[in-house]
Amino acid sequence: MLLRNVFGKTIRDLRWPTFWVAFSLAIGGGYFTALYPTYVKAFDLESMMEKFPDTLKALIGGSDWDLSNATGFLNIELFPLILPALLAGFAIALCSGFTAGEESRGTIDVLLSYPVPRWRMVMEKVAALVVSMVLIAIAMLAGIQVGAVISNSPVDLDKVSAGLFLATLLSLDFGLMALALAAWRGNRGAAAGIPIGLMVVMYLVQSLSPQIETLRAVNPLSLFHYYLGHNALKNGLDLGDTAVLAVVVVVFFVASLVLFERRDLAA
Amino acid sequence: MVNAIETEHLTKYYGKSRGIIDVSLVVEPGQIFGFLGPNGAGKSTTIRLLLDLIRPTGGHARVLGMDVRRDRLAIDRRVSYIPGELSLYGELTGRQLLTYLGNLQGRVDEPYREVLIERLDLDPTKRIKGLSRGNKQKVGLVAAFMIRPELLILDEPTAGLDPFIQLEFEDLCEQARAEGRTVFISSHQLPEIEHLCDRVGIIREGRLITVESIPVLKAKARRRLEIDFAKPVPAKRFANLPGVEGVTVDECTLRCTVMGSVDALIKEAARFEVESVRSIDTSLEEIFLGYYGDGAALGAGKEAGHAAA
Repeated sequence: MLLRNVFGKTIRDLRWPTFWVAFSLAIGGGYFTALYPTYVKAFDLESMMEKFPDTLKALIGGSDWDLSNATGFLNIELFPLILPALLAGFAIALCSGFTAGEESRGTIDVLLSYPVPRWRMVMEKVAALVVSMVLIAIAMLAGIQVGAVISNSPVDLDKVSAGLFLATLLSLDFGLMALALAAWRGNRGAAAGIPIGLMVVMYLVQSLSPQIETLRAVNPLSLFHYYLGHNALKNGLDLGDTAVLAVVVVVFFVASLVLFERRDLAA
Repeated sequence: MVNAIETEHLTKYYGKSRGIIDVSLVVEPGQIFGFLGPNGAGKSTTIRLLLDLIRPTGGHARVLGMDVRRDRLAIDRRVSYIPGELSLYGELTGRQLLTYLGNLQGRVDEPYREVLIERLDLDPTKRIKGLSRGNKQKVGLVAAFMIRPELLILDEPTAGLDPFIQLEFEDLCEQARAEGRTVFISSHQLPEIEHLCDRVGIIREGRLITVESIPVLKAKARRRLEIDFAKPVPAKRFANLPGVEGVTVDECTLRCTVMGSVDALIKEAARFEVESVRSIDTSLEEIFLGYYGDGAALGAGKEAGHAAA
C-alpha cells in the first residue's frame, strides 16, 4: 500500500529509523523527567550551577534557568544542545541522501524515467521527512509526560511542545540546507558535512555571544539565536523567532527544487 | 508518421570533456534500432539526454515527436528505459518493485506482467539485493515491457543474461516490433544484436559515424578469412584481388582481410584444392576499420590494443 508513490515509499524507507529515534527520544525525555527530583536533590544542582563560570553557564543554556520544576530541568539538560543536535543530525542524514543517495546508488535513472517530475520527487520526500519528525516529536512529548507522571513532577506541556516545535523547525533548517546542497552538487558527503559544521559554529556563536562582544554582532546570523533566544521552555513561542526559522525552511526547500531541476544528474 | 527518436546536432560536453558532438539521428517507428559503439563512445550520454536526465550543451532532441525537455512527463508515460548500470531498490522484492514502478507509471498490463515473470523465469518473491546481475536484469526487463510502451530504450540490456533468457529477450523485442512499437538498443558488441536489428547507428568518440541497415553495414565491414589448402599456395596470386588485404601464407594456410564481397577471393581459391574456410566474426572494431580506411584503422587498432592491455 505504501508503494503507491514516492511519498509512500519514503515513509516506508523511514519507518525503522523513525521508530528508533522516536523510541530513544521518548525514553530519553522520560528518563530525564522521571529523574528530575532525584537529580536536583542528589546534586543540589541549583547551587552547583551558581558556582559555574559564566562561559560554562552560557554553554549549558545561559543564566536564564529555573530549576524549581521539571520543565526548567529539561530546558537545561536536553533542549539547548542534545535534542537539536540529535534531531538535526537525523534530518541531515536523511536529506543529504534524498537526491544524492539515489544518484550515488544509481536508482535515480530508473525513478526519473517514470512520469515523476523532479520537483515532485523532492517534495514528496520532504513531506515524508516532516511526517517522520512530527511523529518523533509527539513520541518524545509522550515520553516526557510519562516521566512526569512517574516522578510526580509535572511539566508544562504547552511550553515543552513549543520547545519541541522550535527544535523540529531548527532541525528542518539544517536538514533542508543539506538537501539544497545535495540538489546543487550531488555530493552527499559535503551536503551532510557543511550543515553539521555550521550547526556547531552557530551554536557556539549563540552560546558565547553574551560573553564575547564581537560575536554579538554576528549572532543574528546564527539559527540558534532564534531557537534559544527567547527561551521557549520558559516563555513560550516567540512569533518573530518562529517565523525566521520557518522562512529558512521555505527558502532552502525552494532552493532545493530549483537547483535539482536544473542539474545534470550523475550517471 | 512521427519518428520515434529524432536528434538534431545534439551535443553534450561535461565541462571541457567530450560527451557527444553534433549527433543527428532519426529512428523510425516500428523498428529495432541498434546503437553501437565502444565503451565511452557516448551511447549512454545520448540515451540520458533523450530521457532528460542530463541537459544538452547544444542541439535538441525529440522523442515520439515531443521535445525531451518540455514534454518529459508525456514522453515518460509512453517510454520505458533500462539503464546500462541497472540499480534497483535492493530492499524491495521483485514484485514490490514492479508494483511500485507500475504505480509510478500509472498503468500496468497486470496479466501481461505475470506472463513476463513466467517467461523470464523470475522469482519475484526474492529481495533484489540478493539477486544476481542476470536476475536483476530480468526484473528490469519485466518492468520495461510490462507497460507495453511505444518506445523501449535499452542501454546494454543483454549484459549478464544467460543464453536462454537472451532468446526470450530477443523474442520480446521482435514481438514489440510486430506490434508496431520501437526498440532502441545500445550495445558495444555487434554480434549480440545484429540479427535483431533493422538498422544500426555507430557512434565513436562522441560522433555518429554512420547509420546503416545490417546488410549494408556488413558489406562495408572487413572480414577476416582463413583458408586451409591441401598444398602450399603462392601468396602473390591473392595479394592483388579487389578488397583483399594483408595476405599471409603459412605453409598451407592463407590468412587475409576482405572488405565487402568475398567473391573474387573464393573464385581464386577454388583454383586450388581447398580443405576448409573459416570466417572470423566481424567485430565492431573491424567495422570501424572498414569505415575509416588505413589511417584511422591504425588508430582504432591502437585503441583496441590499449583496451586489451
